[in-house]
Amino acid sequence: MAEKRPPRALEPKDKPFWEGCAKGELLIQKCGKCGHRPWPVVQECEQCGSDALTFERVSGNGKLASWCTFERPYYGDLMPVPYDTILVELEEGPWFISNPLGFANAEAELGMPVKVAFIDCEDQHGAYRLPVFERA
Amino acid sequence: MADHGMTPMPPSLREHSRKASIVGVGETDYAKDYAAERKRPEGWEPPTIDDLCKLAFDRAVADAGIDASEIDALALHYTFGGPEPEEMTRHLGISPEKAWVNGHIFAGPLPNIVGRIISGEVKTVAMLFGIGNRSSGRQFGGNTYSAGMAGPASYYYFHPWGWSSQAAHWAMMAQRYFAKFGKREEDLGHVPMIVRQHAGRNDNAIMQKPFTIDEYMASRYIVRPLHLFDICLVNDGAVCLIVTTADRARDMPKTPVDIAGWSEAYIEQDKFRVMVDERLRPQIQAAGNEALAMADLSIDDIGHFEGYDVASIHLVNQIEGFGFTPDGTGIDFAQDGQITLGGRIPTNIAGGNMSANYMQGWGQVPEIVRQLRGEGGARQIDGLNTSLSAMTQTDCVHPVIYTRGD
Repeated sequence: MAEKRPPRALEPKDKPFWEGCAKGELLIQKCGKCGHRPWPVVQECEQCGSDALTFERVSGNGKLASWCTFERPYYGDLMPVPYDTILVELEEGPWFISNPLGFANAEAELGMPVKVAFIDCEDQHGAYRLPVFERA
Repeated sequence: MADHGMTPMPPSLREHSRKASIVGVGETDYAKDYAAERKRPEGWEPPTIDDLCKLAFDRAVADAGIDASEIDALALHYTFGGPEPEEMTRHLGISPEKAWVNGHIFAGPLPNIVGRIISGEVKTVAMLFGIGNRSSGRQFGGNTYSAGMAGPASYYYFHPWGWSSQAAHWAMMAQRYFAKFGKREEDLGHVPMIVRQHAGRNDNAIMQKPFTIDEYMASRYIVRPLHLFDICLVNDGAVCLIVTTADRARDMPKTPVDIAGWSEAYIEQDKFRVMVDERLRPQIQAAGNEALAMADLSIDDIGHFEGYDVASIHLVNQIEGFGFTPDGTGIDFAQDGQITLGGRIPTNIAGGNMSANYMQGWGQVPEIVRQLRGEGGARQIDGLNTSLSAMTQTDCVHPVIYTRGD
């Protein structure tokens, strides 16, 4: 059953990312001019200012860069506390906020290899698939 | 450079150093107002920004020892809105030649006003900051922020993962710091514990009761690994600074506090890596060095630091970043007594944002002025000539250097 989650940012620029997730693909922008990989989604490259950005699939592999556990309920009943969040350093460079799947922050170690997985979720915009990370 | 929504600052030119001075400061009764808001006795009404600003203004004018009619400009600063300039001048009972809204947090306003004073646009300015974020019930996380609102993308973009709040930014930094440098929560706890001890010597600090490391460990988490005591307060209040030319300041009753240097630096890309891994070190170093060069000083000349302790770990980032102690040693440095009276760099000596008041960077300037004048009382730093403040957020830093003007 789809988990109810707080709303995605869904401006036109963000849509390709979520369409990729629907197909089980993690798409991150790549600048056609300087090769930079920005995340989150931008209109113009944060490194060189170019708008020649395309979405390209990344491997989904990374390592754990940090983690924290929410103990104060910022989202009311939508995200009952405590719950874990992680920061993943993707193989291709960007650092990605996510949730752990199949492990808890209590077992987390700096540099631990992880890989992307997708879970069924739902927000006010509809059903979608959310990228999370499990042990590689 | 991209528009970051901060008050524009003039360049850090050495010939602009020590050309303007703070001659008066005023602030509201943070501790009393906070206690009243918590108790909410019968008939209690939240303070208005108008009244908070009026009190800070009247106190600053009295502190400067001038007549309010000598103020020719009123620069207003509100983070979450406030009265229009015409309404505020009427409320304050003054008729300055110029009154306008000049920004919000303490990231640019003071250098901006110094620039206007140097250019001759204004002469004696009352800079006012007012905020009612506690009585309005503001929450710093969750759906408070969304796409299309002011604020960095990291404030709203990660809602689907349940990740938001400024506290979560600091928590990610702290967890990586612990893993990287072999530190634990109970080590970090010394930083807020020391800042709280400082607040114990400040009658207007909201939280003055000291705590032990055991009490710190027993306190609730906000975003693990950060506890309640690691995070800044949320309160209502106002701050007023009276700023004029350095020449004119010499004819005023109080010892002038000269604005000697300033700078700013932003994370322009890869925010999460720079913020969590580098902890803004490149930005803090670049801006710190530029401000010091403008003031013709070195970091060894700085005798007092008021850092933006919006979270304990972020104060560590700034102590290390400016070069008071090497990378990864800030917690040890604090535990060794180096950030308190008698140490290398007395820091947040009145209780900072974690224990005294949270005025988005403005609340620490009155303490700098008191310290440089020698009015610090029980918490006075001996022989002080130079102070540094830094407004340091998740993606930018704005240092200002102040020198005793006599």
